[in-house]
Amino acid sequence: MIRLATDVGGTFTDLLGYDEATGRIFTAKSLTTPDDQSEGVLDTLRLATGDGGLRPDQVGFFVHGGTTVINAITERKGVRTALVTTRGFRDVLEIGRGNRPDLYNLRFHSPRPYVERALRLEVAERIDASGAVHVPLNEADVARAAQVLRAERVEAVAILFLNSYANPVHEAACARLLTEALPGVTICASHEVSGLWREYERANTAVLNAYVKPIIARYFERLETRLIDNAVRCAHYAMLSNGGVSSFAQAVESPLSLVESGPSGAVAGAARIGEFLGEPNVLSFDVGGTTAKCSVIVDGRPRIFDDYRMEWSRISPGYPVQVPVVDIVEIGAGGGSIARVDDFGALTVGPDSAGANPGPVCYGLGGAEPTVTDAKLLTGIIDPDSFAGGKITLRIDDARRAMAALGKRLGFGVEDTAQAVVLLAEASMINALKLVTIQRGYDPRDFTLMVTGGMGPLFAARLGRELRVRRVVIPPHAGIFSAWGMLAAKPRADLRKTWFSLLSPDAIPPLEAQVAAMRQDALDYFGRDRPESVTHALALQMRYRGQEHSVTTLVPGTLDAANITQEFHAAHRTAYSFALPDAAIEITGIHLIATLDNPVIGSPSVVADGLTLEGARRGSRKVWGAAGDGWADAGVYARDLMPPDAAVPGPALIEEATSTTLVLGGQAAWRDAHGLLIVEEAGGTAQRKGND
Amino acid sequence: MAEEPQYGIDPVTLEIIHGKLLAIVDEMGVVMQRTSMSPVIYEVLDFACGICTASAELVAQSNGITLFTGTFGTQLQSVIDAYAGDVHEGDIFVTNDPYYGGTHACDFAIIRPIFHEGDLLAWAVNVAHWVDVGGAVPGSLPPDATSIFQEGLRLSRLRLAVHDTLSPEILRIIRENVRLPDVAMGDLNAQIATVHIAEARLGEMLDRYGADVLREGFDALIDTAARRARAVIAALPDGSYRAQDVIDGDGVSDTPITVQVEVTISGESLAIDFTGCPPAAAGPINCGAGALHSAVKSVFKAMVAPHEPSNEGWFRPLTITAPRGTIFTAERPSPTGWYYEGSVHASELVWKALAPVLPQRFSAGSYSSLCVIYLSGHTPDGEEFIHIEPTHGGWGACSDGDGANAVISLTDGDTYNYSIELLEAKFPLRVRRYDFNTENGPGAGRYRGGYGVVRDYEVLVDGTTLTGSFGRNATAPWGIEGGFDGSANRFEVIEAATGRVTPYGRLGGRRLHRGDVVRIVTGGGGGWGPPDRRAPEAITADLRAELLSRDDARRLYGWQEAAQ
Repeated sequence: MIRLATDVGGTFTDLLGYDEATGRIFTAKSLTTPDDQSEGVLDTLRLATGDGGLRPDQVGFFVHGGTTVINAITERKGVRTALVTTRGFRDVLEIGRGNRPDLYNLRFHSPRPYVERALRLEVAERIDASGAVHVPLNEADVARAAQVLRAERVEAVAILFLNSYANPVHEAACARLLTEALPGVTICASHEVSGLWREYERANTAVLNAYVKPIIARYFERLETRLIDNAVRCAHYAMLSNGGVSSFAQAVESPLSLVESGPSGAVAGAARIGEFLGEPNVLSFDVGGTTAKCSVIVDGRPRIFDDYRMEWSRISPGYPVQVPVVDIVEIGAGGGSIARVDDFGALTVGPDSAGANPGPVCYGLGGAEPTVTDAKLLTGIIDPDSFAGGKITLRIDDARRAMAALGKRLGFGVEDTAQAVVLLAEASMINALKLVTIQRGYDPRDFTLMVTGGMGPLFAARLGRELRVRRVVIPPHAGIFSAWGMLAAKPRADLRKTWFSLLSPDAIPPLEAQVAAMRQDALDYFGRDRPESVTHALALQMRYRGQEHSVTTLVPGTLDAANITQEFHAAHRTAYSFALPDAAIEITGIHLIATLDNPVIGSPSVVADGLTLEGARRGSRKVWGAAGDGWADAGVYARDLMPPDAAVPGPALIEEATSTTLVLGGQAAWRDAHGLLIVEEAGGTAQRKGND
Repeated sequence: MAEEPQYGIDPVTLEIIHGKLLAIVDEMGVVMQRTSMSPVIYEVLDFACGICTASAELVAQSNGITLFTGTFGTQLQSVIDAYAGDVHEGDIFVTNDPYYGGTHACDFAIIRPIFHEGDLLAWAVNVAHWVDVGGAVPGSLPPDATSIFQEGLRLSRLRLAVHDTLSPEILRIIRENVRLPDVAMGDLNAQIATVHIAEARLGEMLDRYGADVLREGFDALIDTAARRARAVIAALPDGSYRAQDVIDGDGVSDTPITVQVEVTISGESLAIDFTGCPPAAAGPINCGAGALHSAVKSVFKAMVAPHEPSNEGWFRPLTITAPRGTIFTAERPSPTGWYYEGSVHASELVWKALAPVLPQRFSAGSYSSLCVIYLSGHTPDGEEFIHIEPTHGGWGACSDGDGANAVISLTDGDTYNYSIELLEAKFPLRVRRYDFNTENGPGAGRYRGGYGVVRDYEVLVDGTTLTGSFGRNATAPWGIEGGFDGSANRFEVIEAATGRVTPYGRLGGRRLHRGDVVRIVTGGGGGWGPPDRRAPEAITADLRAELLSRDDARRLYGWQEAAQ
């Protein structure tokens, strides 16, 4: 059986297939087709089946990830959407949280809502915080709203009633009435997409879900037809933002759950690589052209955001939505990050990026300002003749000219300037990675750093040394790792509900009943009768009485008050560095993670026959700054030809089709039996300190 | 241009040192948020962390609100003045004195000198708002206080630790003089943890770069910022720019207080003079000189470099003149508890004077006041509750677009409104309405101001007490270049029994009955440019959105309905 993944990115669509019987890997890459992304997917399939020798009828598992949902939202290409809400609360969607993170911008505006005020209609109804009906739903108001919406020709309607997390009866009734009154219009009540409190965030979730639902339904229909026409007739899965997969039908019901589909594939893959290594704690770092993404896997599990915000930045509140998304932090440093010297002599790298077009100067596509990629080329780490498998010949002379012009303003030579650009890019990555771990209560020294993305392996060694991680790992196919990771994902559902109780033995029976109901919901979601096929993990949101913020606490053992108390104190200590052993504890929410048992990509094994380090060696190249200052000779090796567990001493360059790994002096690198490339300090990473 | 100083330090090392310094203050902030037990700190981010040079110049700072922009310098200087020649390794100082660079007694500064081989290298500073420091009322902020002695414990420039041992006497004084001693000790420990983190991280930098390179790096960063700021000022037209405004009452009386400023741009420097402002008021909206400097610096920063990290260099071209003992330079024993209600007017005066000079950085007048109310009482189960909430409001129009609707005032920053669903689950209150204030609306103009909000709280238990202090409760936010003024802030009580409505600007306290409604109304911002130049599509859009009535469209903009 062949497992096949396709990942639609901003520029390229990647395909990766794995034949479980033979261990054979199929890859293909083609340009993303922005108007209809399924065309690009089919292009990769045709490439893989043509020259590649892939037989589509042997594909037994197909998973698809991509940017369709996030693009439709950020490019505002969704449908005309309205919001029906509780009387008095028409502007909740536009007011948002009113925060002004851009402190010194006296012209700051909150992000524009996705429903204009004229399409935000109020109806009389009110549920109170306990779930009791305070004002009954006024059906005549709903009928009047339906009339307006018909006249306005809206294609989708979201419904947000206050406290529907505690009792959805009014939202459900309103949805029923609107469905009858507005045939063909997508209706999305907030309780259908989120069982959590916070009216603004839930409203945004319902609105954005409604906004893209008709488009995504059409997209998946087209994709499915094309796949079947091209003989890929197995079950088709969509990569979700929570690190799991769902059927196409499930994805269409809740399209917002696809919002971080691609990056989540890489996180699922990181957890799987951790399993191969027996490492439960993995710091995953993916370096792309414009940004780098960082994610933390603890005890084998990706973290899920408590408050995921689309388009968030340090100066914008973004759009918070209540869908389960793996916790990923993005920083503005990548291969295309531009280096500049300003009028005051300060050198900066990023966040402006040359992206893929025009790209770095060395691509010869019109880029004029030197980038991190140009710096890596000029310091000898990238081989101009074998970049991207030799498909693009890099123009090293153009890069040199651009870097020299920059260096002149600093009084530096070309190599020193290039090395400075690399050091600054790395310094911002290191600061970000430290903060990401520290903010979540972790120490990078307890982690294995897994580095991916075409540019990642070029940085991996120095990041590992500065962060003093346990070791650095570069998985196979690092350049298309998101697609690989999708093959490691299982069908998964994250059921989250706001649910209150003081934690005491009396709370346990109703808690058990609620959890049992959620387990049943999970079975229904998967369409399974037998609970044995579903694995559950339970987390509770809890806080000390009087606190505002809850801490998500995994409860692995039995559901008894003593056990839960103990787990919460420990989780609180991790998150906030202290516990209050005598304080009362409140449960505020339940998070059930249900996973359908499904085989995932197995561990590849390296065939050692006849491989020798001498055979893998391709000579040497001069690299600037790989061991002390100046040029140093670095041995060049072909990763695929390295025998298992044979260590190469640094400085060295280990090359593969999509990337090159730099190994610094004082480090050693080897390929393990699974084909993973490992870099460690020769004396043990944890003991080392300082730079070379 | 001033002569450019030359530094031996190379630009790469400088940039890396800069990144590390910012990472240190970020980490201090994370530690503070993670270890504090007060919602005002981990929710409202009412704290700031920073690193200063040996001579008290700020090199790096993190803050989540603007209130603490560059407050460290004067505060730290007051400690240096008090302990000249007597600062030692292992010392920690504490101060919360509004008359010595502080803000109000609730804001405690923890200050740690950092040494390298016996020489003073830097100072780590953390200022944080404590929930209670004693005084007349819980929370230590009576809106009608008439002296600082009603506003809690004042520890003026004390040495809290010697050889890293905290003084048990000072700790006892704190414990015995605040209402929530455990929370106070928790926050004190969190603050101390942040200055220790700063010391440890600076130690790692010393190991790598050495003290000389670090000192040179500090100076180079500050000088570079100063040169950048001077370049911005130099590009502005020389001249004197004046502004006047009114503070609506001080919490004790409603008498309007007229304040004024003169801003003079001359070459590369900018001088701000508050001479002529009235003496300190009876009520607690006064601010001390330290808070005044911070208020002015936040607007200066908005002008010269809104997105760059703060350091003292940005403020070198700036001089501030203000006679002693005024409403902006209060001295003992004037109350300063609600100082941000006064200091925001100092910010806005400078803003108002400079907006026409640099329109791409400024907007017209905003609702300004934090509009804080307190609702406190007992739940039906007899438990004590207190709900404290600042309210968002309308900001002024820009020279090229309408003003922002419903965002938090200048004083705060990354401050969220309270989720209605969370609030109703926690307090005996029901929110009946939360939408834009379209009744009074913003100032009309070619570009109109942003809309404020209306938020109605129905009180669900008898005996709930309401307290609040709203500025701009009579004098509306100013329009500019022919734009109209916006609308004023107020709160009111609508009695369930009688239907009687009583409006307030500032209120020391009122007991409410079940069913009474507290209505909060925040103002709309001022307009920019004359209303008759407003684009017809913009008028139509506001009509369609029901933000603007047809009557107002005719009255304000001369709009005429197209013949059907």
